[in-house]
This record gives sequence, structure tokens and C-alpha cells, in this order.
Amino acid sequence: MRLRMAARLVRGLVIAISATSLAVAAQAQDKKIKIGVVFDLTGPLAGGGSELGYIGAKIILDHFAKTGVEGYKIEAVYADAQSKPDIAINESVRLLEQEKVDMVLGFFSSAQCVPVAARVEQLKKFMWMTTCISSAVFNEKGYKYVFRPQASGDQFGMMTMDFIAQNAKAKFDKEPKDLRVAIIHEDGAYGVDVSKGNEAGAKKAGFNVVMKEGYSATAPDLSALVTKLKRAKPDVIFHTGYNPDITLLLRQAREQGLKFGALMGHGAGYGVYEKLKEGMGADATYIFNADPISIWLANQKTMDPKLPPVIKMVGEEFDKIRPGVAIRSAHVGIGASNTYVFMADVLPRAIKKYGGVDPEALRKAALDTDIPEGGTMLGFGVKFYGEGSPMAGQNERSFPVVIQYIDDKSSVVWPKSQAQREAVLPLPKGTTYSNQ
Amino acid sequence: MQAFLDVFDIYLLEAVINGILLGGVLALLALGLNLIFGVIDVTWICYAELVMIGMYAMYFMVQYYGVSYFVAAPFTILLVAILGAALHYLVIAPLLTAPPINQLLATGGVLFVLQSFATVAFGIDFRNLGIRLPVLALGDMNFSYARLLSFLAALVGMVAVYLFMTRTFTGTAIRAISQDRQIMALMGVDTKRIYLITSALGGALAGLAACLLVLQYDVHPFVGLSFGPITFLICVLGGLGNFIGGFIAAFVFAEIISLGGLFSDLEWGYVLAFAFFIVMMFIRPAGLLARRR
Repeated sequence: MRLRMAARLVRGLVIAISATSLAVAAQAQDKKIKIGVVFDLTGPLAGGGSELGYIGAKIILDHFAKTGVEGYKIEAVYADAQSKPDIAINESVRLLEQEKVDMVLGFFSSAQCVPVAARVEQLKKFMWMTTCISSAVFNEKGYKYVFRPQASGDQFGMMTMDFIAQNAKAKFDKEPKDLRVAIIHEDGAYGVDVSKGNEAGAKKAGFNVVMKEGYSATAPDLSALVTKLKRAKPDVIFHTGYNPDITLLLRQAREQGLKFGALMGHGAGYGVYEKLKEGMGADATYIFNADPISIWLANQKTMDPKLPPVIKMVGEEFDKIRPGVAIRSAHVGIGASNTYVFMADVLPRAIKKYGGVDPEALRKAALDTDIPEGGTMLGFGVKFYGEGSPMAGQNERSFPVVIQYIDDKSSVVWPKSQAQREAVLPLPKGTTYSNQ
Repeated sequence: MQAFLDVFDIYLLEAVINGILLGGVLALLALGLNLIFGVIDVTWICYAELVMIGMYAMYFMVQYYGVSYFVAAPFTILLVAILGAALHYLVIAPLLTAPPINQLLATGGVLFVLQSFATVAFGIDFRNLGIRLPVLALGDMNFSYARLLSFLAALVGMVAVYLFMTRTFTGTAIRAISQDRQIMALMGVDTKRIYLITSALGGALAGLAACLLVLQYDVHPFVGLSFGPITFLICVLGGLGNFIGGFIAAFVFAEIISLGGLFSDLEWGYVLAFAFFIVMMFIRPAGLLARRR
């Protein structure tokens, strides 16, 4: 009898212990971070590069969803900003307040980033921007919960000007003061910001700025702009645009006989070579573009050794989604790399060191980020300007590079430390836009 | 003298001619919409989206199936004409006696349906026909053949529609219906048939515009957003249903955009054009060519 009671007691204890451990396991399993991901999947910006950024981010999120991070499950909730700032704000707020996501990630357009960042900060939630570049997002705002590993727009503008400044004498046989430059840009937050960088760079280099003008990316006609460019006779055109305004401008430039020595693009539409090629044919050759380096062009020898396999995985996954693409757009790598930094560096630290995934833990973990150059797939390091800095939340170690499209290949031509080939400058004689 | 030459140079002439050519594009777009506006008295908010569908039809026929541009064009015009008739039969006809706001909302709904349909069916990519027409060079000035073609098509289209409306029995019936919708039915005119013909004709003109616009612009599901609002303004500025008024309004609008853009920022060209529209709505609310009462 006693023996039976003892057996029952032991059985009960075993069941109780099992139940407790099961409950603990279930609780561990329940630990998850919900990430709201916002990109433009419809509307003009989707084809202008946003969807490619989304694909890059999704590949990384899917990768981590399989393994989890420090015992946390990863659940991504996707939303379409429809290429409209108001939708981007509404969707971000919906994700945070109704879907109860722990943070929002993504964002392609600077016109969306600026108001969304303000709203998310107001809600004291965490925001991780992968793609948009406008400096206006951070400038003097003093945000605490908004972070961006991506380079800022003025850096793009300064980089292309620096490239031309260093090549003015050798390639154009002109002193900087004699070099005629035109700065044209779409008139949203993105274009305006890059053009400010262009202007500052031109002033620093001492260029003769013969024209500076913004235009609406949805304008049905840019012929007056082209006529003014013809009148201004620039040696180099610095252009910031989305697509299809880039194609429209260059088509009308060809039709109206505009000639110049070089065309410097600044990301967005210029980062999608397939579309440039489709719209302009052989005229897409020799165009320059400033962007973070494509992860497939980055120097893997100087990179953290754990990153090349990730780059390979992103490439393979992208090829499954978009087979037969001649040049994988830098936008895919930007989305992937900047998402990877969060998932592989910031998130584990937030969980381990700061005990969870609440905005405060994520913020502290982001501020602790200290990745040296070569520590990301894009080549640059990551350290965020801290509180008190006018650019608090912006990565101080990021930089874009200048690439040139030649014979269906893109090669880094600037800065010299990253250059893979000599730039073809000015446009060779016989090409459509050449002023030689 | 130098100051005069600085302003009145060859580039001014180029801007004037480019304005005329842009006017051709806008006039072509306004032609079909004006017909619908004037006769059926219904606002096809989705008109530019019909043009977008036509541009896709051209793209796929020429790029994917290797059909010659000149063979694909009549098929596209026919396709968009059928779409126009279907739009009337399925959406407009049941709402003909409904308040105008209902008709407006219904065609607005069709706009979103067509945009979403194009997004799902064709994707969000910008697609380019890949046909590069030569350029007409006159000294330092260069002009696009694609735009010259649009200009000629608008001119021929307007004359053809004008002759059709004034010299044929159906055209006369269409004009009569536009003057009094109720009385014509009492006189034995099959109003349903006339509406259907008018809608198909409006659709065909949208198809014609699509054939020419696809030579100048990339096609994507939202291409209509660049043209839709401006086309409406031109129709209103010219006087609803007034083809000649619409034609002139298109050129006035285009010249303001072109010259305003030349002398100031491009954006100011559009601001001036819209300001001109607002002022004209006060001065001549019934359109540029309306008779003063």
C-alpha cells in the first residue's frame, strides 16, 4: 500500500516537473520579436528600387526566422507604403499600435522617412531605417529611438563632387574653377538633400555651378529643363532622381541634342541598371552612380570572414526570386546588409545585455554598436552618433562609393582605396551625349 | 541688344516649339475625354488608366510577341475602344440617372481597379517599348519625332472627330443627345446605342493616345497619375465638350509650362499653368471659347 502511494507520489512529481518544464519551454518559445517592415511594393517607387530593398531585407529576415535570435522567434509583418508618405505614416502607426510590433524597419523613400521618424519617435518606439538617405531625418532633431546605418544624402552629393574634383585636371584638362557643373534633382527630401551635398562639394572644389534646379519626379515633361541645360553647357551633370523621371530626362536629352562630359547619378533610379539599360539601351554605358557599394562588389578579403557566406546566400536567394538579372542592384545588398547588422549585432545585444526587445533595450543596444570598417557586407563600419550630436542616430562610419556602368558591368571607380578600375571620363567621342 | 539676345535666343524658339509639341500630346489625351464629357456628361476619372492599359497592350504585343508596331497599333485602338464600351455598359449605364457624385465615385473606383489590376498582372516594373525614333535637327534645335507624331495625330484626330460629329448622322445624333438627353429618346433615337458608340469612340481615342505615348514614356501601373489631372484641367479650360476649345487649351497650357519652365524653375511653369487655370475659371468659367452671356 505504502509502496503504491510512494509510486503515485513519484509519478505525480514527475508529471508536475514535466509540466513545469514544458511551461518554461513554452514560455521560451513564446519569446519573440515582431518586426514591422515597411517598403513601397506598389506605386512609382516600387519599381524605382524599393521592391529590391524589400527583397534584400526579407531574405535576411527569413534567414533569421529559421534560427531565431538568442531564443527569440522572429516574426516579420510586412506593409506596403504605396509610394506615399501619408500611407507610410499610417502603416507604421498601424503596425506599432494594432499589430503590436516591437519596432519598424525598412523605408526606401526619404520623403517617407522624415515624417515617419518623427511619428515613431513621438510614440517612443524603435525604428531602424535601411535605405532612405535624407539628412533631414536626423538633422538637429535629437531623436533617441531612430537609427540608420545607411550613408546620408549629403555624403552622396559630396562624394561625386570629390570624385570629379580629383579628376578635373587629369580628365577634363580644366582647372576646377573652369569646370562647368549643373546640379539637377527631384524636389523631394531625397533630391534636395543630395543636391545640398553637391552644392557644398562644388563650393569646396571651386567649380563653376552653371545651373541648379529641382523638378517634380512625376512631371510629364522635362523638355524645358533640357533646353536650359543646353544653354548652360555643363561639363558634368549631377543628377538625383527616381525612375521613370531619369529615363524621361535622358530620353528628352537625347532627342533635344544635349551634350555633356559626364553624368553623375546618386542612387535610387541610378542604382537599378536593368531599368536604365531597358530605357536607354547603349546610352546607359558610362553613367556614374553614387551608392553604398554593391555587396557583390565589396572587397571580401578585408571583410569579416563570417560575411562572405551571407553575401553568397543573399545572391542565391535573390537569383531564385529574380532569375537572369545582369547586374544585381545595390538596393538588394543595402536592404540585406543593413537588416543583417540589426539582426546579427544589435538584437542579440539587446536581448543578452539589456534583457529584451523593448524600445529602451533596442536603443541602448544600437548605441553600443561599434563595428569597424569591413564589418558589414557594404564594407563600412557602424557606430551611431549619440545623444547631443546634431545627427544623433546616423551612422558616422558609413560612406557611399562611385561606380561606373561599363559593358553591362558595374565597377567601383572612387574612392581610390576601393577602386576596381580606372573611370572612363569624359564620355568617349561618338557616344550619344558626348561633348567631345 | 545683348540683353535682348540673352533672352530671345535659339533656345527660346526651341522651348516654344517644344511647348507646341507637348501641346500635341495633351490635346491628344484631351480629345477622347472631351467627347465623353460633352456627350454622356459623365466624368471618366479613369480615362488616363485606359491609356495605361493601351500602353501595356502595345508593349506586350511589340516586345513579347514581336508584332510590328504598325500592326499592334490598330489592335490596341480596338482593344481600348472595347474597354471604353465595356466601361459604359458595366459602370456608367446603370448610373446614368444617378447623381453626378455617384458617377464620379464609380469611375474613380474603376481607376483603382485598373491600377491594381495592372500591378497584379504586369508587376510594378517600368517597361520601355525600346523603339527609338530619330531626331529632327534644325541647326542647334532638335525635336523628337515621337512628339511630332503625337502632334500630327492630335491634329488629324481633332479634324476627324469634328467631321464625324458634323457630317454624319451618328455624329449629329451624338450632338443632339449632348444637348438634350431626354428628348432624343422621345424622337426615336436609340440613346443606349449612341452612348455605347460614343464610349467606344472615346476609348479608341485613348487607344490612339496610348500608341503614341508609349513611344515617349515608360509604362507602369501609375503612369496615368502624370497625365490624368492635367488632361481634366485642359478639358475644363477648353469648355466641356468643345473640341476646338480643348485643342487650344492644351497648347496654351503646354506653352505656359514650357516657357514658364524656361524663364524660371520648371516647377514654376506648372504653378503658372495652374494659376492661369484658376484665373480663367473666374473670367471664363464655361471655357476659353465660350460665348459671353
